[in-house]
Amino acid sequence: MSALSRHIETLGALLLAVIWISPLVFAFWAAFHTTSDAVNFNVAAPWTLDNFRTAWAGAPWLRYFVNTFFLVTVILIGQFVITTLAGFAFAKVQFPGRDFVFILVLMQLFILPEVLIVENYAMVSRLGLFDTILGVGMPYMASAFGIFLMRQAFKGVPIELHEAARVEGCGWFGILWRVYVPLARPTYLAYALVSVSTHWNNFLWPLIVTNSPDTRPLTVGLSIFGAPENGVDISVISAATMMSVAPLLIAFLVFQRQFVQAFLRAGIK
Amino acid sequence: MAEPFVHVENVAKRWNGQLGVENISLSIPRGSFVALLGPSGCGKSTTLRLLSGLELPDEGRIVIDGRDVTTAAPSERNLSMVFQSYALFPHLSVAENVVFGLKVRKVGAAERREKLTRALEITGLLGYEKRKPGELSGGQRQRVALARAIVANQPLCLMDEPLSNLDAKLRASVRKDIKKLQVDLGITVVYVTHDQTEAMSMADMVVLMKDGHIQQTGAPEDLYYKPVNTFVAEFVGAPPMALIGGKALPGFEQAATIGLRAENVRVAEPGKGRLNCQVTDCEFLGSETFIGLSHPSATGLTVSMPGLKQIPAGEKMEISFADEDLHFFDDTGRRLTQPA
Repeated sequence: MSALSRHIETLGALLLAVIWISPLVFAFWAAFHTTSDAVNFNVAAPWTLDNFRTAWAGAPWLRYFVNTFFLVTVILIGQFVITTLAGFAFAKVQFPGRDFVFILVLMQLFILPEVLIVENYAMVSRLGLFDTILGVGMPYMASAFGIFLMRQAFKGVPIELHEAARVEGCGWFGILWRVYVPLARPTYLAYALVSVSTHWNNFLWPLIVTNSPDTRPLTVGLSIFGAPENGVDISVISAATMMSVAPLLIAFLVFQRQFVQAFLRAGIK
Repeated sequence: MAEPFVHVENVAKRWNGQLGVENISLSIPRGSFVALLGPSGCGKSTTLRLLSGLELPDEGRIVIDGRDVTTAAPSERNLSMVFQSYALFPHLSVAENVVFGLKVRKVGAAERREKLTRALEITGLLGYEKRKPGELSGGQRQRVALARAIVANQPLCLMDEPLSNLDAKLRASVRKDIKKLQVDLGITVVYVTHDQTEAMSMADMVVLMKDGHIQQTGAPEDLYYKPVNTFVAEFVGAPPMALIGGKALPGFEQAATIGLRAENVRVAEPGKGRLNCQVTDCEFLGSETFIGLSHPSATGLTVSMPGLKQIPAGEKMEISFADEDLHFFDDTGRRLTQPA
């Protein structure tokens, strides 16, 4: 009985994995074959790199890569600064209305970012940040999830360490920088992984708020590249997609173990 | 007498509805070793935290080294602290932990290295500089905490049950080390403990507390030989002092309660004792055996007999004692100087 159910579980897991991975596998296969071989599933067809050459020449990919890289970096730095300060305040500083304000922050978790897209658009324009990388990143910096995560991490730091640092002469910032931030390192790592992968893949908001190749991230560039008016060539689009996801995919494969461990450790605390 | 080094005047700290400490007054001479002793929840740790500045008093005044520090921040009080959990920073090495405060106070690198070496030498930690606290044994961690406390050369060191996480054997040796360190460095130590052996063996002055109030302040021998009330009498000493109702002893009816220590009790021949008791239990300790006795108007009666004794429970035993070994207390528990 238990052996049977175990087999079913394994089978189910395998099935899910295959369904999940198949689009990626197909894109990978298509990227290295001519269009007709790809759509006809001609297994014996020769491999080719032509699609990559065509795709690379078709759009300013390097610019897009740099933009995406800047975008995730700017967002991550902004998030680290804001969630650290806010998380610390909610975890360790007594001020009137703290719980109420924290509930307001948490309510942000219930609101889909897409709902706020018009308001964010207006706000970013008012700030004069339309079509800038900072403008793309701005709405994500005060992340409620990040604040919550940091608050939990800081709450787990023993109060004696805080007091010892106080006796030794640290001020608020000294304690935060020398005690809390180093001790929350696993949480920072886990959060960074989530943040980077989310914003590397983010599409709708950058599509709306960017207007020129100078600010467009990879996702938006890719969608314009693959838009029907440019003619659909499944192999070339697959090649472009492979290029877009490659850095994140390779990073995930390399850091797979740390990736999973970071979550486990952040959870165990 | 010279101005006391630490002076606490009528300090009180209350939490909403909950009793903290009340009416605490202390004068601690420079270079002395003071133990704050008491059962858990008696306010000894609160008193220490008030001294450290981690809590601020609701009432009263605290003066350290001639300076009023009642509302000063912990870092402005020129003191160091050893925590019960040691409070070592797990992400820093031993060396970084020890010089943490020096670094915060922007002491130069050369001076830092010099002080670090000295502190590690004193605590016997040379060679462990690079280790993380997680890679050390309990005793070593304790010494790192001590090294951190002495490295800055602060004149006052506060210790909050620093030995309670060590095993019994280590505790005895570290006790001696701490005492020696205090004498060698000439610092003033205020030491919180619930273990009377620690307090009695290390301190020059013991402050016994209960329910947020100081019960008695004095040298260890004062607490032992002249307890000011029945609480002190029962708390200090192992086994605790026996308390006998005054009515049970002819000639001492005026005292409500009479105290008697086990070492002053003798087993008397049948018919010649002053109290007739029954044996309740025997506690063998190696060199002696404590024999617990019961008597209708006494609690905690014990007689100490040399070597191993096995007396069945329920057996009758008569005891005697000298009048000068008796302690007298009135009906509120306070000590009477004369057998009224």
